[in-house]
Amino acid sequence: MKELQNWAFAQKGIIGALVGLSVLLGTVITGQAYFLVHAVDAVFLQEKAFQAIIPLLGFLLGTMAVRVFITYMNARLGVKLAAIVKRHVRTLLLHKWTSNPIQTAIQGQSGGKVTVMMEAVDSIDSYYREYMPQVIKASIVPLIVLAAVSYTHIWSGVIMMITAPFIPLFYIIIGIKTQKKSEEQLGQLAAFSGQFLDTLQGLQTLKLFGRSARQREEIQRSSLGFREATMDILKIAFTSTLMLEFISTLSIGLIALEIGLRLVVFDSISFVSAFFVLVLAPEYYTALKELGAAFHTGRGSLGASEKIKEELQTDDHAVQWGIKEVTAQPSLALENVEFRYGDGFAVKTVNFRIEPGARVAIVGATGSGKTTLLNIVAGLFDPLAGEVLVDGQPRHQFSEASWFEQISYISQVPYLFSGTIEENILLGAVGQPTREEVEEAVRKAGLKEMIGELKQGLDTSVGEAGRGLSGGEKQRVALARAFLKKPSLVLFDEPTTGLDLKTEQILQRSIDELAETATVITVAHRLHTIQQADVIFLMKRGEVEAAGTHTELLDTSETYRLMVQGGGAQ
Amino acid sequence: MKRLIDIMMEEKRDVLLSVLFGVLAGLTSVALFGLSGFMISKSALQPPLYIITIMTALLKLFGAAKAGSRYAERYVSHRATFTILSNLRVSFYEKLEPLAPRIFGKYRSGDLLARIVGDVETLQNFFLRVFYPPLVLVIVFLSTVLFTMFYSVWIALVLLAGLLFTGFIIPGLLSLKQRNVMRGVRAKRAQLSTETTELLYGFRDLKLHQKLDKKQGQLLEMANSYAGEQEKEGVQAAASQSLNAAAALFVSFMVLVLGAYFVTIGELDGLLLAMLVMISLTVFDNAVPMALFPAHFEETRQASSRLFSVVDEPAPAPKKQRLDEERAFSIELKNVTFTYPGEERPALQDVSFKLPAGTKTAIVGPSGSGKSTVLQLLLDMYAVEHGDLFIGETSIRDIQSESIWSQTNVMLQANHFFYGTIKDNLQIAREDVTDEEMKEALRVVELPFSLDDPVLEGAENVSGGEKQRLALARVLLKRARIWLLDEPSSSLDVLTEGRMFNHLLKAAEKDTLLLISHRLTGLEKMDQIIVMENGRIAEAGSFGELMAKQGYFYELKQMERQVIE
Repeated sequence: MKELQNWAFAQKGIIGALVGLSVLLGTVITGQAYFLVHAVDAVFLQEKAFQAIIPLLGFLLGTMAVRVFITYMNARLGVKLAAIVKRHVRTLLLHKWTSNPIQTAIQGQSGGKVTVMMEAVDSIDSYYREYMPQVIKASIVPLIVLAAVSYTHIWSGVIMMITAPFIPLFYIIIGIKTQKKSEEQLGQLAAFSGQFLDTLQGLQTLKLFGRSARQREEIQRSSLGFREATMDILKIAFTSTLMLEFISTLSIGLIALEIGLRLVVFDSISFVSAFFVLVLAPEYYTALKELGAAFHTGRGSLGASEKIKEELQTDDHAVQWGIKEVTAQPSLALENVEFRYGDGFAVKTVNFRIEPGARVAIVGATGSGKTTLLNIVAGLFDPLAGEVLVDGQPRHQFSEASWFEQISYISQVPYLFSGTIEENILLGAVGQPTREEVEEAVRKAGLKEMIGELKQGLDTSVGEAGRGLSGGEKQRVALARAFLKKPSLVLFDEPTTGLDLKTEQILQRSIDELAETATVITVAHRLHTIQQADVIFLMKRGEVEAAGTHTELLDTSETYRLMVQGGGAQ
Repeated sequence: MKRLIDIMMEEKRDVLLSVLFGVLAGLTSVALFGLSGFMISKSALQPPLYIITIMTALLKLFGAAKAGSRYAERYVSHRATFTILSNLRVSFYEKLEPLAPRIFGKYRSGDLLARIVGDVETLQNFFLRVFYPPLVLVIVFLSTVLFTMFYSVWIALVLLAGLLFTGFIIPGLLSLKQRNVMRGVRAKRAQLSTETTELLYGFRDLKLHQKLDKKQGQLLEMANSYAGEQEKEGVQAAASQSLNAAAALFVSFMVLVLGAYFVTIGELDGLLLAMLVMISLTVFDNAVPMALFPAHFEETRQASSRLFSVVDEPAPAPKKQRLDEERAFSIELKNVTFTYPGEERPALQDVSFKLPAGTKTAIVGPSGSGKSTVLQLLLDMYAVEHGDLFIGETSIRDIQSESIWSQTNVMLQANHFFYGTIKDNLQIAREDVTDEEMKEALRVVELPFSLDDPVLEGAENVSGGEKQRLALARVLLKRARIWLLDEPSSSLDVLTEGRMFNHLLKAAEKDTLLLISHRLTGLEKMDQIIVMENGRIAEAGSFGELMAKQGYFYELKQMERQVIE
């Protein structure tokens, strides 16, 4: 609730305007009643001519117009406030994600993050659009109406003052009594509504086992269960509205009785005052009831704001950069590098040096920190401790642009963006390559034949996440990006499972070709790769357990020997 | 819309009760305020005290009746709404069921199902916000107009005109505008969602290629224009409501002007003026929410047309043959070529092979080579376009899909498990499966579960390897004579995989078995191995033959030997 409020109160102008409008609204409501009452009084009791009330009618029309206009402006400001806050929150989220690579890189959570960006942010809408204006309006309007009534006839004002606290009090009592129950029910509701989706998702399985017809009763049963559970909650809400209605009807009745008696028996109040009070009384209670209802609206946004808060609160570890230019083919070194994600995988005190043009392989069991290390080398994560040295100087002194200009990263699952194949290849380009250069890269990456089969060739659209291309083809697109970029450092996360033979051959040949002009660091899963490597780093539980060439490691490391032979013997 | 009304009218009683209580609540509320206006005027004329007492009592009565009937209206209408939701789900399921699983092939994106669920939930608003409120409004209004007619025809006519404007003309005019605004919101929303997905999944590639800032800028722009469209929608809604409120207030104003005029010329008793004004102010309380009617109407209209378009697929022409007898059928593909709907490149090109009855075959090849497509076609999830496919001696074009499914033990790459218990999930295997059989199956697949262990939504409490073994237990219980298995052991370690294979081969000893695998281990026991690449058969033969030939399979095997984990 606090975040939601803070975001709202940051918009002082809008909040101020809402307050101002509410004061005006209270005044206008009072004015409307005043003119109405006097108009009726003039023709009814004073038996004046129609012409005499025309000014009154004019004023009445004016107050009505102003009232509608204020209501409109109130709603508009609410909408505006919601839009401003949503923009602000989305900017915060996006900024958080793009400056916090670790969080974003954990791929499994990306779907959840999209939900936060879309649904959660949209769910806070009603808080600003409805709750805030309603609360402000409902806190101010009754006060003004009360003042006007008290001024006219103090006893009605007293009745209003005495009865008013019953409404919030009642809300509190109902709230305490029902909150626990409704929370229990909410869990049940989620289960019921999930069941329909569950059945639809499992329809294929049900069909294959010949059980689908049976499921109809199941759906009906759970839907009716959903109805019962929902009705239990709603019944509470409806009962509380009923009681409030009774409270306000009773109060209005009391007021009516009191002024009626005075009017008839004691003759101590004028018709004008009596009618005025009677017109205003319902306005007063309606506003109070709205205040109660508003709290209900506000609650709906709470869950969403929690989710957003969670996203925004995670630790920030932006990668640091400087201004120096990276020279072509720099040497690289890691000094006492440490890293950890939350309480998951960790990399501890890694040291190594990589000469320009070397071929390096990183091997180790799943979870030993190989890919994390590659991401640190790539400059996607900063180490938590230790330094990455480029040509002997800390990397954070170099500029981000000049660093990334030197790098190609070929991951196991390269992401293709919606757009054409050519646009996806051009992602790697520095400057504006010609079509010939693109075609050259395509040829080197072994994509020429595949692209030749497509009617629109390079202009074929690949669709979101490269649907329609196989894993091997996506890898080749990533290779084409690298050929176009001509990097001096290639980072390669070798596929763990076999691709098609052709892609395997192309990958090997292409990496060899890129290695002629670049340093290549491979997270290796192929014997061929480690045999070719100038140096192999064997990772075990986040540490470099051994380093050396293939033959050296075969001699010195038992772990390495077992791993290589285990793989080869399959 | 007609179908929606049909489904709704199954709950005739609650629908009628909702309207009845709604009308009652509306009328008592009008009566309450009318009477209070009358009472105050009457009081001013110094009537005897008992008149005041009677009127106060009446006021209380109306007040109570109003609150009570409002409560009843809410209760009944919500109960009806949720019953209608239940009917909708059932009726939709009944229509979808015969079309599944083929329809899932057509809408391959997973969000079809989420959309269906969302649309069904939107439609529950049809009754609550679209259907009955206008009905109640009209009845309450007409009754009020009729009552007013006794006192002044002109004022009655003004009220009637007010109804037409606030209830129909203004919402009608606004609905066109509403449609455009909502279209804008939806389009921007879809864009923003896609862009966010791209940024998050493509983060590394964007960062490395220095395109992140640009993408971030684009995304922010989209987030802003989405919020902008939503703002437009909000302003539109506010304007609609205010317009309607203005119209309503203006009508009450006209009632006052006309009433006052008639009083001054002596055609209306001044006593009634306050009452008529109060009546007018109250009766329009019901009409103001009609401004939101177009939005709800539009929403439900779209949801219903989307939903019913999904199930409006013509059901495939009924096929005649059944695979009645229980035996191990042979399977044969003859020159099958197949392209997925909406794709350019064929997934299978001129594929022919035969699995003699009772033999064991493996299909291997890289991802995207067409292995799973063979299985999809065998299960009749897609119709074969060119070439033909035979189960036994019968072409798949003539066999009822249900009879294929009942004769096969199928394990797909993703197997669904339902929210419930382990037992619930195993029981669907066969009608008469006993607890002992289920326990035995769990033992065979080495799962330490008991039958009453819970399975959560999406089986999120079961690991990948456990899911595969649970699915295996399920097909082991089914006892059909054709086995179609798509990478059944991809999440298992090599040793467990070997043991599971042995169980499988023992259970399927006399049956026809087709195994799709991208690993090449354990294939020595297969009668036949079919190697696929790019939608074609690259090679086929027994393990020994293929290794001796030193062709494609041999090279794949060499490559697999190269892989170290």
